[in-house]
Amino acid sequence: MTDLTLDSIKPASGSSRKLWPTSLRFGLPNQKLLPWLLPITILTLWQLASSVGALPASILPSPTSVFFAAQRLILSGELQGHIATSFSRAATGLLIGGSIAFTLGLSNGLSRLSERLLDTTLQMIRNIPNLALIPLVILWFGIDETSKLFLVSLGVFFPIYINTLHGIRTVDSQLVEMARSYGFHGFQLFLRVIFPGALPSILVGLRYALGIMWLTLIVAESIAAQSGLGYMAMSAREFMQTDVVVLAILIYALLGKAADSTVRALERWSLSWHPAYRKGGLQ
Amino acid sequence: MNALPQASAADIKGAAISIRHVGRSFASKTVLTDLKLDIEPGEFVAVVGQSGCGKSTLLRIIAGLDHAYTGKVLIESEGRDTASARIMYQEPRLLPWASVIDNVAMGLGPDITRQVALIRARKALEAVGLGDRGSEWPQVLSGGQKQRVALARALVSRPDELVLDEPLGALDALTRIEMQQLLERVWLEEGFTALLVTHDVVEALTLADRVVLIEQGEIALDFKLPFARPRKRSSVAFVNLEERLLAALLHTNHQPVEYVI
Repeated sequence: MTDLTLDSIKPASGSSRKLWPTSLRFGLPNQKLLPWLLPITILTLWQLASSVGALPASILPSPTSVFFAAQRLILSGELQGHIATSFSRAATGLLIGGSIAFTLGLSNGLSRLSERLLDTTLQMIRNIPNLALIPLVILWFGIDETSKLFLVSLGVFFPIYINTLHGIRTVDSQLVEMARSYGFHGFQLFLRVIFPGALPSILVGLRYALGIMWLTLIVAESIAAQSGLGYMAMSAREFMQTDVVVLAILIYALLGKAADSTVRALERWSLSWHPAYRKGGLQ
Repeated sequence: MNALPQASAADIKGAAISIRHVGRSFASKTVLTDLKLDIEPGEFVAVVGQSGCGKSTLLRIIAGLDHAYTGKVLIESEGRDTASARIMYQEPRLLPWASVIDNVAMGLGPDITRQVALIRARKALEAVGLGDRGSEWPQVLSGGQKQRVALARALVSRPDELVLDEPLGALDALTRIEMQQLLERVWLEEGFTALLVTHDVVEALTLADRVVLIEQGEIALDFKLPFARPRKRSSVAFVNLEERLLAALLHTNHQPVEYVI
């Protein structure tokens, strides 16, 4: 018979894109630096405005004085302490809230009975802003660790719960039928088909959760805490240390970015099969 | 070209399928009524019919995907009364998050060690001409290649029955002919019983030993094909039968084809 297969026919490579070397296009610098162009420009303008006195230090201190504040707090060890405290609160809250949310998302996604029993209740709780509970939480737990963990856990719960549930619901039923016909049931079916199918959605939930995690923690720490970044910013306000306040805000931005990058890396690693996450894929 | 060797009686390991008085209704709509069909071990049967005639329902019942029917379906293979049925769908249904070879290995079920599974999967992939693509993601393959991976997955466990639900329906004409040749080759090599549901009359006549026409849930036509393999699609007898079958499908009068050579 014939040996003709489609493998031997490859599409012609090369396209109009190759006409210009990447570096010449639009005269822009390296693609990796591009996202940082705007933040650096803003920082430069800010410094200039402070240096010429257009921006009084009581309103907004210059980047250099923020830098010196950071240096001072790092040397005294204060900053590291606050960051470590906040970080461990964030991580613990995420772990507790996230794992409960993931478990409930799974059970409600896989079992109709479980969903009927729980989903309505959860949707009602979801519509209460978690920060509205702060007064009640302080009454219950005081201002020690439990109150912060409770609020963070509650904050990260819903994005993870909803996206896990949605991910499991939207797993391709044709693939499930196929796997069943090959004898996959129960945990094997979950491990090979349902979980990988739901993973993109679960990770989207995790990214949302990380944003809410920082937001909730900072607010909780500003109101009811004796350590942590939020506390550092609030006590600096009382002493009119605007440079420390601005430093705290910058650290929030960096921590938020770091959390987001972590999940992106996780996505690239675990979803390398997905056309949208493949390196050099559709971007 | 020489005819391919026919599978000899000795190495036939296909399942015998007998369908007795099978009926199936969905809500108020009756799709199959009192259907009777006997399929011999190793036979290649094509089921044709218009959309909604019940052919896919019949196939799902035989494949064990649908249990809500009345009547009896007996599937026997070499004395065992449970045969291993495999199904190939119109879509390849490959797991996008598993490599090509892991997809094929899925066909061996969950209770096999990965090492053994990979060795057998590699052989099955080679048999469909994709031995070197095992480590790739399914997305990078063409439609025809994906369907070949699905075929390898269906055959890796050496089933005695393969049920095909228009597996070539979504392929382009050339790839389809290639796939038909591949299907015929593996069927001759493996000797399983094949049941192919198709819209394509030529495909049915090219591949099958026997063609069954289903109309409104009943068998309207059931005949064996007298042609040697591989089939010559342009022979007068082939084209005549094609016209007859089309006429039966479309309820028009069959007029024998006239040839002037």
